[in-house]
Amino acid sequence: MYGGNISLMKNTLPRFGITTTFVDPTNVDAFRAAIQDNTRLIYGELIGNPGLDILDLEGIVAIAQENHLPFMVDATFNTPYLCKCFDYGVNITIHSVTKWMGGHGAAIGGVIVDGGNFDWGATDKYPTITEPYAPFSGLNIWEEFGPSAFATRIRTEAMREFGATMSPMNAFLLLLGLETLSLRMDRHMSNTKELLEYLSGHEQVSWVSHPDLPSHSSHKLAKKYLPKGAGSIVSFGVKGGRDAGKAFIENVSLASHLANVGDAKTLIIHPATTTHSRIDADALVAAGITEDMVRLSVGLEDVEDIKVDFEDGFRASKKIANA
Amino acid sequence: MYFEVNNKRVFASTGGKCFDNNKPAIIFLHGSGLDHTFWGLHSRFFAFRNYAVLVPDLPGHTNSEGPELKSIEAMADWLNDVVEALDLDNISVVAHSQGCLTALEFASRYGEKVRSVSFIASGLATPVNAALIDAAENNPEAAIAMMLSWGFGHAGHFHQGPIPGNSMVAGGRKVMGGNPNSLASDLRACDAYKNGKEAAANISRPHQVILAGADRMAPRKAGMELVNHLAKPELDIIQKSGHMVPQEAPNDCRLLLKNFIFANNPSS
Repeated sequence: MYGGNISLMKNTLPRFGITTTFVDPTNVDAFRAAIQDNTRLIYGELIGNPGLDILDLEGIVAIAQENHLPFMVDATFNTPYLCKCFDYGVNITIHSVTKWMGGHGAAIGGVIVDGGNFDWGATDKYPTITEPYAPFSGLNIWEEFGPSAFATRIRTEAMREFGATMSPMNAFLLLLGLETLSLRMDRHMSNTKELLEYLSGHEQVSWVSHPDLPSHSSHKLAKKYLPKGAGSIVSFGVKGGRDAGKAFIENVSLASHLANVGDAKTLIIHPATTTHSRIDADALVAAGITEDMVRLSVGLEDVEDIKVDFEDGFRASKKIANA
Repeated sequence: MYFEVNNKRVFASTGGKCFDNNKPAIIFLHGSGLDHTFWGLHSRFFAFRNYAVLVPDLPGHTNSEGPELKSIEAMADWLNDVVEALDLDNISVVAHSQGCLTALEFASRYGEKVRSVSFIASGLATPVNAALIDAAENNPEAAIAMMLSWGFGHAGHFHQGPIPGNSMVAGGRKVMGGNPNSLASDLRACDAYKNGKEAAANISRPHQVILAGADRMAPRKAGMELVNHLAKPELDIIQKSGHMVPQEAPNDCRLLLKNFIFANNPSS
């Protein structure tokens, strides 16, 4: 899972009385076993970061429905173009639109999408939605707004009082990017397919991980939920370990060394020392992050240019590995 | 709020304010297969301007106990039962689509407590194609998709409402999808209603008609029939809107309702 979210759930939310039970996202039964009386939400990333494990949406939806809990999915890595989560019964999706949706890394933003398909009034677990809301003259949001109750509740409180409101310039940039989502996603996926073949056959690469590869543990789920391709993030190991990986990253020039993903530009990073640097060693192992891992966010450039650039990096890493 | 009418539980939105029947009342009537949420942008406006706002779910729709009412005349009788149950007076009726047929019957037969009637996107009758009724009975999902496709104009299909990020079509699908049996029943009631001309001729209270220039469900020609059979209608046409006027052009619609109701049923 995204390192920032792990920190939010582990460190920040408990200060507000909200605790999280972390489970193996590939083990559907683990979700069922973790549900307690005070559980209010099931949450996951459809495509995990950076291990790229795929959630079994239908399996988890069934558990959520059995326990009458909403199921929220971070759909950033897939975007609605690769998978429409609501078609499988997911109730809420969130996206960092800084990534593929905006597509250019030019503005920071996020969206919450209410599927309108959860019956908040069926239990007394969600009083902030189903009971009178004092700041709005006792308005009962569930009764008044029905399918859009959750979205309305967010607008009435989170946007007004917590300040989660996008600036007009960011909104403009992100909407401009959104107009070309389908074109960009097709290119992201065709470039990813080519690079998977290239990396899988490269002598300086010790391993390649992507759900579209038959060797990936989530390959079957990827084919089911993401038939157009399981996103444009690829993890691979550079032969020679940490120093060789560092040499690779420092010697490519077309690819940018950045923590972002889903940019028009190809991006690479070393997760263990950057995006996931603030989580402890056990969580690193749990997230499948190794010291030789390079995370690649495949961009929109001509794929042959990306390969030429990577050859520069691999030449440098080979010298370290053979030293 | 919930209350009982004829020993059945009825839900009505009150626009986010406590209901006070001492104030002038505004009753909003929804269309086929819909519910109170259709009027969310309008009910709150009037509730916060000292009106007793009532937006009932018709029997069998969303939060109101069934069974569905089988005819427009029965809906008008039921509405009168609501008025009596809540002891309402000085009533403005605001109706959309199917609700307009109910408003015609109600205002013509129970007009003594009515101060004004607003008809939005309707004619004197609503003949429904047999194929649509058949779909509503046997394949409600398809019927809902057709109605939403025809019902919404440009603003609805291109998500250009005043609420950023809100999909009117998806919202409609969720609401109507929650009332699959009601839709067929409503459409049959609309199709069977033939008393529009007589009812229109009986309406003596001030009335306005708001039509939509891009309405594909109750086209302007049908709307003008209603206009031509009413005694003295105030007519406005919102050119850019499709059939779902209160959602597609809420600000224009609200302004017209406001000017008309404030003039004919003022609140202190």
